[in-house]
Amino acid sequence: MQVNRIAAPLKLLTIAFKTGRVTKKYPFGPPLITEAFRGAISIDPAKCWGCGACVLVCPPNALDIIFEKEKIVIEYFKGRCIFCGMCADTCPANAITVTKEFELAATNLEDLKEDVVHRVSKCAVCGKPFAPAAELRDVMKMHPITEEYANICPDCRRKRTARAFGMRFGASI
Amino acid sequence: MKLEEKLKSVRRSPWVFHLNSGSCNACDIEILDALTPYFDAERFGVKLVVSPRHADVVLFTGPVTREVLPKVIRALRAVPRPRVVAAIGSCAVGGGIWWDTYSTIGGFPKLQEILKRYGVEIDRVVYIPGCPARPEAIVYGLLVALGYVKQKVSKVVKTVES
Ligand code: SF4
Ligand code: SF4
Ligand code: SF4
Repeated sequence: MQVNRIAAPLKLLTIAFKTGRVTKKYPFGPPLITEAFRGAISIDPAKCWGCGACVLVCPPNALDIIFEKEKIVIEYFKGRCIFCGMCADTCPANAITVTKEFELAATNLEDLKEDVVHRVSKCAVCGKPFAPAAELRDVMKMHPITEEYANICPDCRRKRTARAFGMRFGASI
Repeated sequence: MKLEEKLKSVRRSPWVFHLNSGSCNACDIEILDALTPYFDAERFGVKLVVSPRHADVVLFTGPVTREVLPKVIRALRAVPRPRVVAAIGSCAVGGGIWWDTYSTIGGFPKLQEILKRYGVEIDRVVYIPGCPARPEAIVYGLLVALGYVKQKVSKVVKTVES
């Protein structure tokens, strides 16, 4: 009994000395972050089209798309993001990068929001805003279509095609 | 400024109470991780207590299920002022993947509206996102809550030029 009382702490001390110090120095030292760690995402406004594909796949709806009159806003709410990286996989323009940022603590919910504001192009015929300007710009780069064709909204384009068909078959529109 | 003075007295050794409101347990494991010698939040005097009556800071996890809502309100009412809440994990911050399910109310911001109706004031909330929040993120969040470090994030608005 007496021996045990002395031996038990001694055993503990030997284990403690053998293990050494394990405590991470964080926040005074580097955090324990590995290659595979995923943190908050970052949207590159120079590449983003405002297409909304990321909004559709985001499981917790951390990304949201808001249609205003002449603006389309992609809203990213870091607070709800689960850092899955599905948006980065989906983005057709490769605009999303997954960063290693995790020091996101905030005392205000607004501080956790990130907006990407897009200008919406207006239809050359009816003047109705219909698609983000950045999307049209990149579609024109990728496909052999002219600005004249791309700058018309789907409704007007449909009407124009119908009229062209009609004229071919002799209708008077 | 009165709150700052009050928080100063807490800052020496914040006692934390862990309040689970229906989380998936991953965030709770990370809290334990933050308290173990590996990340050692006890360096800053953080000590886990078992009663909300003894707590300075409430470590709040989970999206607040309907079942647990009355108990959560009772537990938070028992916390002495100044009440500091650290909402940990995307569930607690904004509802997480349960943001629109029928059985949860959708995180701490929604709960705060209900608390206001019951006259339970929360003096400071610090939101710590992550699913689960890393132990380092929890340590960092606690430091932000107590005013040791300045918060890093702020609202960003990026405008697309085209
Ligand atoms: S990382 Fe996942 S949760 Fe976060 S914004 Fe992207 S898709 Fe949504
Ligand atoms: S381009 Fe990428 S980031 Fe921009 S809205 Fe589409 S999917 Fe989202
Ligand atoms: S934030 Fe994620 S890990 Fe934490 S309780 Fe919710 S679902 Fe679980």
